[in-house]
Amino acid sequence: MNKRIIEAYVGEYASGKSENAINRALELNSQGRKVRLVDLDLVNPFYTLRPIKKELGQKGIEVVAWGRGEATGLGEAGSLLKPEMKWALHGGGDVVLDIGYGIEGLKVLNLIEGAAEDKFLKVYVVVNIARPMTAAVGDIIEYVTSLGEVDGLINNSHLGTETDREIIHEGAYIVSKVSQELGVPVVATAVAKEYAHLVGKKDPMGNPIKIIDLFMKDAYW
Amino acid sequence: MEQKPIQGEKKVFMTGNETVAWAALAAKADIMYGYPITPQNEIMHYWTRLAPKHNRKFLQTEDEISAGFTTVGGVLSGKRAFTATSGPGNVLMQDSLSMAEMMRIPIVMVVTQRGGPSTATVIYSQQETTLTCFGGNGEGIRVVYSTASHQELFDYTIKAFNTAWKYRFPTFVLGDGYQSQMREPLKIYDPDEKGIEFVPAVAQLGVEGEAGVDRDPIHLRNTYNMEDELYEVVRGLVDDFKAVAPEIEEYREQDVDDCEILVVAHGIVSRAVEGAVQQLRREGIKAGSFRPITLRPFPEKHLRRNAEKARKMLIVESAEGQLRRLAADAIYGCQTPMEGLFRPGESITVEEVVQAVKGLL
Repeated sequence: MNKRIIEAYVGEYASGKSENAINRALELNSQGRKVRLVDLDLVNPFYTLRPIKKELGQKGIEVVAWGRGEATGLGEAGSLLKPEMKWALHGGGDVVLDIGYGIEGLKVLNLIEGAAEDKFLKVYVVVNIARPMTAAVGDIIEYVTSLGEVDGLINNSHLGTETDREIIHEGAYIVSKVSQELGVPVVATAVAKEYAHLVGKKDPMGNPIKIIDLFMKDAYW
Repeated sequence: MEQKPIQGEKKVFMTGNETVAWAALAAKADIMYGYPITPQNEIMHYWTRLAPKHNRKFLQTEDEISAGFTTVGGVLSGKRAFTATSGPGNVLMQDSLSMAEMMRIPIVMVVTQRGGPSTATVIYSQQETTLTCFGGNGEGIRVVYSTASHQELFDYTIKAFNTAWKYRFPTFVLGDGYQSQMREPLKIYDPDEKGIEFVPAVAQLGVEGEAGVDRDPIHLRNTYNMEDELYEVVRGLVDDFKAVAPEIEEYREQDVDDCEILVVAHGIVSRAVEGAVQQLRREGIKAGSFRPITLRPFPEKHLRRNAEKARKMLIVESAEGQLRRLAADAIYGCQTPMEGLFRPGESITVEEVVQAVKGLL
């Protein structure tokens, strides 16, 4: 029960990594667990969860991210690691890592002390099949394989404000196919709260549905 | 046969930069020349991921000066070439774009406006309006489409390739950092299936045959000895541009028939303005909006028609009066008072526009 939970959320650009990472952190927090959420997006550091750091902090999560004005003067080259990021896995509690997109993003784990040896670390790939680069089974397999060893897939298929049941179900079907081919489990099908009425407790492939709140729409500077 | 990048039509969820890369692919672009700059980067990133799968090319140059000129070179050699940049990169590319203007080279360039002046922010602005319309030591002989959504980024990037090659003027898709990074649903499609026919890209240099014998000699110039010689050339450019302007001009109107306050905005700001007009109308306030989609050529007559009917005008932009100057020039002589809501480098919300309009009542 009190086993440490350490999870890294990775995936294609705009696949929903941050939303899923934030929601996971909130879920653990609501179970009374101590949670640290770490913004490790060094690929595109200007469009991350920095702007909502305070809001999440008020909910009881320890957010490790640069704050507005903290990294001034660095412009777009301001992708630097805080000491708290490097040592994110040290100390107790659960850790949720929000990683920059693609294989380059994932390389940040090389900079985190103890990540390579950590037996609790799970890497989850977030997939939205409405993203054309990860729309087909073959493309997703190629993409997931490029990331190295991963522990699970999350079907996060949606069309933003035009999300319908069809895209969620098709995502479930395609991601489940990938799961079968790669032998990597589907952890969940994530659905934004606004579209919760479109789904039940499980998707048609039998994967659990996870209802998530959206935060990143407020994350623009 | 090579598989088409997009089969039929499909609904997708993308960022704006990614949308541009897919649109260029769908528009049969052969090569992108580029140099990295935020917030444009993912146009390059996605192009470089997609290009090898579809037998297209990419060249990263040593800077934007080179990216602009290699695009010119690519076009001269018969390639459907394009580039994309932002802010200081847009400044550096103006030299090559002036050359394209002078030599009627059909360049397509996508601009993702960032904050200025200088390096400023990587985030967002509408401060490259003047630069994109009139940059370089020329007369602004260019077509500039200012987009407001991902669907438009897709549609107008495709259209830009045909506008450029049909009229042989440099053609710009003017986006911004918000449109680049934002995610929203859109429909992507195969232009062939929509009946969009592409003007072929033909080599102007290195063509076969002996000059003067098999074909006319090719004489591409951007240097002239005599001032009257130059005058004749520039006069020709200006006249050609003016002649086709009415068929290139595009705009969008909302609730203009009985409107008292006419709100003018372009690009993504027009989304806030259109939202504000809807809200104001619900409250019984007679507001309307006018959005130039082409900033060059500017839909002058259409703005004037609406401006003359209105009691007051409000120009809204994320710049300090760059759109206002275009509008004021377009309707010169019109007596309708013109106010401004100017936020250089900062976003503008529906609520702020509503408030500004109410302040004019």
